[in-house]
Amino acid sequence: MGLEYVRITTGFEDYMPKDYVDLVKYGQFGKDYDIQELGTFKELVEEHPMCAGCFMAYFIRVFYASLPKPEDTIVIGTAGCARLQLSQAAVPFIYGNYGDTNAVASGLKRALEIRFPDKVKDVVVVAGDGGLMDIGFGMTMHSWFRRERFTTIMVDNEVYGNTGGQESGMSPKGVQLKMAPKGKKFDKINAVELAKAAGCVYVARISPTNPKRLAKTIKRAIIAARHFGPTFIHAYTSCNIEYSIPTEKVLEDARNREKKDFTFYEWMSDDVKNYFEQIESNKEGQEVKV
Amino acid sequence: MYYVAETKVDKCSTYKCNQCVLFCPEPNTLMFLKEKNFAYVNQARCKGCAICVYVCGDLLKRNCVEMVMATVSE
Repeated sequence: MGLEYVRITTGFEDYMPKDYVDLVKYGQFGKDYDIQELGTFKELVEEHPMCAGCFMAYFIRVFYASLPKPEDTIVIGTAGCARLQLSQAAVPFIYGNYGDTNAVASGLKRALEIRFPDKVKDVVVVAGDGGLMDIGFGMTMHSWFRRERFTTIMVDNEVYGNTGGQESGMSPKGVQLKMAPKGKKFDKINAVELAKAAGCVYVARISPTNPKRLAKTIKRAIIAARHFGPTFIHAYTSCNIEYSIPTEKVLEDARNREKKDFTFYEWMSDDVKNYFEQIESNKEGQEVKV
Repeated sequence: MYYVAETKVDKCSTYKCNQCVLFCPEPNTLMFLKEKNFAYVNQARCKGCAICVYVCGDLLKRNCVEMVMATVSE
């Protein structure tokens, strides 16, 4: 896409759908809204079919609201809950086969660099724990080994929520699920350390309890991926259906988990650290050429 | 028949706060009117998860959001 394709041709405003006119007039395209202004502008996601109180839905809402350049972003997803909402946004979305998201993203990013040499196009993979750490493990790791420059975000609900509650590699040890009645026998995979070892330049683990910090982390991950290399965010997005969390307790659960094993953790390479120090000292927040 | 959130506008506008808006999982549902400084619910889109009630009641102790039974307008 691009900003010039978003705008409505003069004279056609009356004939376009209301939602689209609102999106162009009051939406995020070409503007830089702070996450604290959520609720005062038209969001990129119109509606979504995810469960009531789903915190993955909340994470994706904040994710779209904090994209640094939504008009130049392409999102890639795969089978799982996340794709239900990702595909409802006004941002191009590609649906990979199960597990091949990072392979698709690698090719896409390279192609975009050739097609648009004078523009930066952000490629972001948003997939679940099954897509990235179980079934897509090989392709995820190899995209990091190859130092492909895109962002990978894992929305970790610790279960295969779409298919009835089978255990995944990210489920915590000992947890009993509908399709895993004996309890899980081994530990949760340490995805953050794996990403660090595999060559990611920016790695974060976060529980979505603080929208400001969440938005900052997402922005940093996308901007670092433009110049330096692969970046990774591991986000806790509970499944209130499979883990039987009452919907009003979902945020409480996220806060409890943050105190235990999902404490906020951010690691970046020295280059990236210097770069962000440079941006943040630059008052206008303009990007600096590397 | 289902529950949806409703904000108590008079009470809400006395606080300078939009925390419930920041924690709603539904986009374009819990909205914030900047000029008059209160949050309001687009009830046709609310799924009734009550996270906003937890944020406003349990966390902030302000109790400006409550769950009400949705009525069908003829």
